[in-house]
Amino acid sequence: MSEPVLSARGIRKSFKSGESVLEVLRGVDLDVAAGESVSIRGESGSGKSTLLNLLAGLDAPDAGTVTWAGSDDTGADRRAAYLGMVFQAFYLVPELDAFNNVLLARRILGKVDGAARTRASELLAQVGLSGRSHHLPMQLSGGERQRVALARALMNRPSLIVADEPTGNLDEKTGNEVIELLLGLCASANTALVLVTHNGAHAAKTRRSLLMASGVLGAA
Amino acid sequence: MPWYLHLALRQLFPTGRKFPFFTLISTLGVALGVGLLVVVMGVMGGFEYQIRHIIVDTEGEVQVVARSSIADYPAVVRKIEAVPGVVAATPFAGDPVLIMFHDKPVFPMLRGLDLGSIDKVTQLGSYIIAGSLDALDDDSIVLSDQLANSIGATVGDTVEVYSPLIIQKMSADSVFLPRQVLVVGILHKGHQQLDSSTAYGTLRLTQDLFGIGTTAQGIDVRLAPGVGDEEGARRINAVLPGDIRALSWETSFSDFLWVLNLERSMIFFLLLFIVIVAAFSVTSSLLISVVRKTREIGLLGALGARPRQVAACFCAQGLLIGTLGTVAGLGLGFGMLAIRNDVLRGVTRLLNKQDVFERFYQFTELPSHTSGSTVALIVVLTIVISTLAGLFPAWRAARLKPVEALRSE
Repeated sequence: MSEPVLSARGIRKSFKSGESVLEVLRGVDLDVAAGESVSIRGESGSGKSTLLNLLAGLDAPDAGTVTWAGSDDTGADRRAAYLGMVFQAFYLVPELDAFNNVLLARRILGKVDGAARTRASELLAQVGLSGRSHHLPMQLSGGERQRVALARALMNRPSLIVADEPTGNLDEKTGNEVIELLLGLCASANTALVLVTHNGAHAAKTRRSLLMASGVLGAA
Repeated sequence: MPWYLHLALRQLFPTGRKFPFFTLISTLGVALGVGLLVVVMGVMGGFEYQIRHIIVDTEGEVQVVARSSIADYPAVVRKIEAVPGVVAATPFAGDPVLIMFHDKPVFPMLRGLDLGSIDKVTQLGSYIIAGSLDALDDDSIVLSDQLANSIGATVGDTVEVYSPLIIQKMSADSVFLPRQVLVVGILHKGHQQLDSSTAYGTLRLTQDLFGIGTTAQGIDVRLAPGVGDEEGARRINAVLPGDIRALSWETSFSDFLWVLNLERSMIFFLLLFIVIVAAFSVTSSLLISVVRKTREIGLLGALGARPRQVAACFCAQGLLIGTLGTVAGLGLGFGMLAIRNDVLRGVTRLLNKQDVFERFYQFTELPSHTSGSTVALIVVLTIVISTLAGLFPAWRAARLKPVEALRSE
């Protein structure tokens, strides 16, 4: 079997709140293979987003390890090339148009050439926004903004995309469209996906569904 | 272009949106500071430039002086005129005197001129506003206009001149009458200090008054264009005996110039505070920007941006505001300098104070001279200060952890 794209072993994380300590993750194990889609569901405050931040290398676990393709290097430089992120609140840069928001992922990687510009345009076309590439985020609807965020996450051909409730700010119809798009794009690019969602229907569309409860990840 | 510069530019000048208010205010603050610096330093520089012009016009670029007097001054003049780069030299003698007219006294410096060579070295004649320098002889005198005004003398009047020698003899109970001379010219140099303290006679007259025989007390020298004042003085010193020294006008007037420079430096320093206050406005607006864009900063970290790149994005905004403010300020400053005399005339006319201004400052127009080095200093300091103003917000932005920034409300 090939090396998992993402591997987490014995992840523990707790937060101090005054005198008390809140243990959010109590030994999480997870392997995600290349091109695999995994959903994580759970109640609010169950630690899904905390786990996602740890898997994305944005935070450090108190115990346990996170490796990407066997390497424990989850720093900023590697993250830019290896991982794409999608957020509930889109997080587009308001001063940049759709095209430049998509290209921003490549700019941060430091490689902007004609091919990169072409890819940004192609990605916008794939998410159905080729005619709106020079619109600012404020000129786009919520669904369109999230599509731009999807295109940005795929810009650097990442091996893994982590998506934190990407449909949380969208209506049901638009949310379904975005999830279909996300799964389709990941499948066509053989990109692994870890999707945190409250929506059971969306979770059911992934290859594997997991449930976060009491700080431990188990099968849904 | 690095992404953080691209983003800094877009945040300051967003496409299709109005110029952000905070950017506008910060840029305007810097521009006002720079504009004011350019105007004030230009006018101060104009005063200094005009004074230099007057001094060089009336006394040459180099002055040769002796510990006592120069006995064989014609020989020294010939020696100086043989130095490469020297156009001409003219001897002079000068000391303070008491001039009386209708019992009104003034105590100017009386400078004795060699009428045969004065025109080769100075352009004194061009400063005469009444009478003529050509009419000057051993029994006449030219007064600067403030002197003449203060005693009420004018061309054609006869004034009494008392030298220290005359006063000394009078105090020794000798009968010694003051020298009566005719006022043949009134001179206006254009600077209050110079116009209130100078009178001109012939060399012969001053030799008689000061009892220095046929000697001179110094020699004014005109240099060829392109020969530096200090270089000219150095060349002349090389051919002079040790007890006679050539001094450039800067050295001769070093105290005067030092005071002028001190004034200029103090005003520059004080006005620079406007730029510093504007820089605080830059800091404040960038800090607000960091707070408003906390989640965007978190996003940049999530996309793989390094903290120093995030810092560079905000520092670059300080630099850009500083640069833009400096360019706008230079335009504003030089624009104001271009219309300075119209503004001055308008204000003095409005207040009905034209006479007062001219009487006190001796200028009918505000002079202006801005050196390249002054502009460079203003530009460099403003841009450096504005960039430094971006450091604190940049540090705050760089310290934000992506995970905490993304979670912020």
